[in-house]
Amino acid sequence: MRNTSQTFHPRRACILIAAFGVGILILTLASLAQSAAASAAPVAAQQLDAAACLACHSKPGFTLPLPSGETLLLSIDSQAFEASVHGAQAVGCTSCHTDITAFPHPALIAENLRDVAVKMYTTCQQCHSEQYNKTLDSVHQRALAAGNTNAAICTDCHNPHTQTRITDPDTGQILPDARLHIPTTCARCHSAIYDQYTTSVHGAALTEENNLDVPTCIDCHGVHSIANPTTTTFRTNSPLICAKCHTDPTIMDQYGISTRVVNTYVADFHGTTITLFEKTHPDQATNKPVCFDCHGVHNIQKADDPIYGIAMKENLLVACQRCHPDARPISRIPG
Amino acid sequence: MSKKSRSYVRFPLARRIEHLTMLLSFSTLGVTGLVQKYAASGLSIAIVNLVGGIENLRAIHHVAAIVMMFGTMYHILLAGYHVFVKRSRLSMLPALQDIKDGWQALMYNFGLAKSYPQMGRYTFEEKLEYWAFVWGTIVMGLTGFMMWNPVTTAHILPGEFIPAAKAAHGGEALLAVLAIIVWHMYVVHIRRFNKSIWTGKFTEAEMLHEHPLELADIKAGIAEPRLDPKTLRKRRKVYYPVAGILTVVMLVGVNSFVSGEKTAITTVLPISSPVPIYLPQTPTPSPTAQPTPTSGAVVLTWDGSLGPLFQTKCGACHGTTVKLAQLSFATYADTLKGGQDGVIILPGEASGSSLIQKQQAGGHPGQFSAEELGLVSQWIAAGAPEK
Repeated sequence: MRNTSQTFHPRRACILIAAFGVGILILTLASLAQSAAASAAPVAAQQLDAAACLACHSKPGFTLPLPSGETLLLSIDSQAFEASVHGAQAVGCTSCHTDITAFPHPALIAENLRDVAVKMYTTCQQCHSEQYNKTLDSVHQRALAAGNTNAAICTDCHNPHTQTRITDPDTGQILPDARLHIPTTCARCHSAIYDQYTTSVHGAALTEENNLDVPTCIDCHGVHSIANPTTTTFRTNSPLICAKCHTDPTIMDQYGISTRVVNTYVADFHGTTITLFEKTHPDQATNKPVCFDCHGVHNIQKADDPIYGIAMKENLLVACQRCHPDARPISRIPG
Repeated sequence: MSKKSRSYVRFPLARRIEHLTMLLSFSTLGVTGLVQKYAASGLSIAIVNLVGGIENLRAIHHVAAIVMMFGTMYHILLAGYHVFVKRSRLSMLPALQDIKDGWQALMYNFGLAKSYPQMGRYTFEEKLEYWAFVWGTIVMGLTGFMMWNPVTTAHILPGEFIPAAKAAHGGEALLAVLAIIVWHMYVVHIRRFNKSIWTGKFTEAEMLHEHPLELADIKAGIAEPRLDPKTLRKRRKVYYPVAGILTVVMLVGVNSFVSGEKTAITTVLPISSPVPIYLPQTPTPSPTAQPTPTSGAVVLTWDGSLGPLFQTKCGACHGTTVKLAQLSFATYADTLKGGQDGVIILPGEASGSSLIQKQQAGGHPGQFSAEELGLVSQWIAAGAPEK
């Protein structure tokens, strides 16, 4: 018996393989049918449901009082929504408002307006998981997790009902018009910094001349995964941020700016130290300066600006004295 | 045989220790310095990591520099003793003969001279290396001072001198390290392995080969001037106090070199924004609901106040375009007709009307305010008149 059970039976094997094959075939067909149904159904539902929702919600001045005394605006500008990237892509209301399945709607449990947004924004991860996951490491998310509900969430920067397309779908690059509006988006919460930025050489070029060669907020701070800019690691790595543009001759040559600024910095005592810290111990503090310690952060001016430029000796001395308190102009030899 | 086995003291122990001190400090300075000169290279970063960071590496560089400063001090004092007390022959001073010797050695190497030059205690190569070291020490000392004390330097010299000093320091370092690797390695280790700096001794054969003129002087008894103890004592009496003062001056010099200034603040200033980080713009107020008639002008009829109120508050969902639950408030007739759940207004019976019950329960998307609900109740109680 032992022997026969271990013997290879061609016929039995054939039956087994055939049965297995049929099983696979059935499963494949079933899953194909299911996915076909799944891909067809939501589109139809969405098209229906946006129109149905807008029947009520496109009426202006449609509001709901909240316990805090604030008023939640329930009206959607249907034209703006249709012009938005979501409207254009036929993303229906219930794709995001997943709790709304019928009328009457379930009761909205929210204390105030901010509560509504904070409860709602996680819905974005359904489609934008890459961006959503990036935000989980951001300084905003950390503040929110620490209980600061003022911290920016998806919908603070991107109004889902009016947001137009930001990136070129083919290249993935930010569209020029979207880039122009980045600083005003951040300004909603960081208005004082925005005011400084608009007076800087970078910000003035963007806001006054629509010059897209200059950095916007996200070129230095990143987007979605915005890191805390006050950490030692950020500081130590910061020269690499400036280097991105300031070593690029295609940008710098237009303005007659040297692309050797980073090389000369790295060759200098300050820059050598920072570079070594960046490579070996980026999280340890060093007293050597990075670009923004001398040139400023949001209020960066042209080096040769006659009033604020760091190349002006009086301004340079002030910058040096921040770290070298004994620095003073060269002694004049009497007579 | 006895002649050959005789040995001559070339370097006494103190000289050998001096050489070892210079060797160790020079090598340490060379390694820790070149790592900073070529900071971007992978090997440099590995060495920086090995010593626990650039600040540690610089500390090691500075300690080695201090050791070399002390070595130099000792050398100056010893040279002074030889010159002023022992009145030794100044055998390290370069002379015209050295140029002749160098030329002859070159010609000999090309096969154009019959013999290699015969030289004394220090050959032209040894003198060249010694004076190169002296020159290097002066350059490294001056430029090192400027980098160690940049603020003081900038009080006296234009600021450009500091990066220039850094360039000179690095360039001279490279020259010195290459001189050691190329010259010293070839002359002392490869051409003939000369161990005298470790053993202190040369055999007669080695002396004959390397320093025949010195050997002749030693044999003639004129290598060192003879001194009677009395003269020696007299000269020492003068030299020792002078050397003492010189030592103090040099120690003060080293001290001010090393700790002359506090170049920079040691702790980084915390990054602070001169303006508030979080300062939201004044938000655009959300549009409020359309105004509803106030109680002062209320006329408790459908045409008077209630019709417009229903259309404003309920018309979006219960109107002609959208008619949720088959209920419309578009006209008086529609309103009294009710929806799929039947009549919602019982004229004369406000509390029995399902409209009032639903609104009192709250949570309806189109929710009347308490005031409005009061009006509607009064209107129903009054029989819900149209006009």
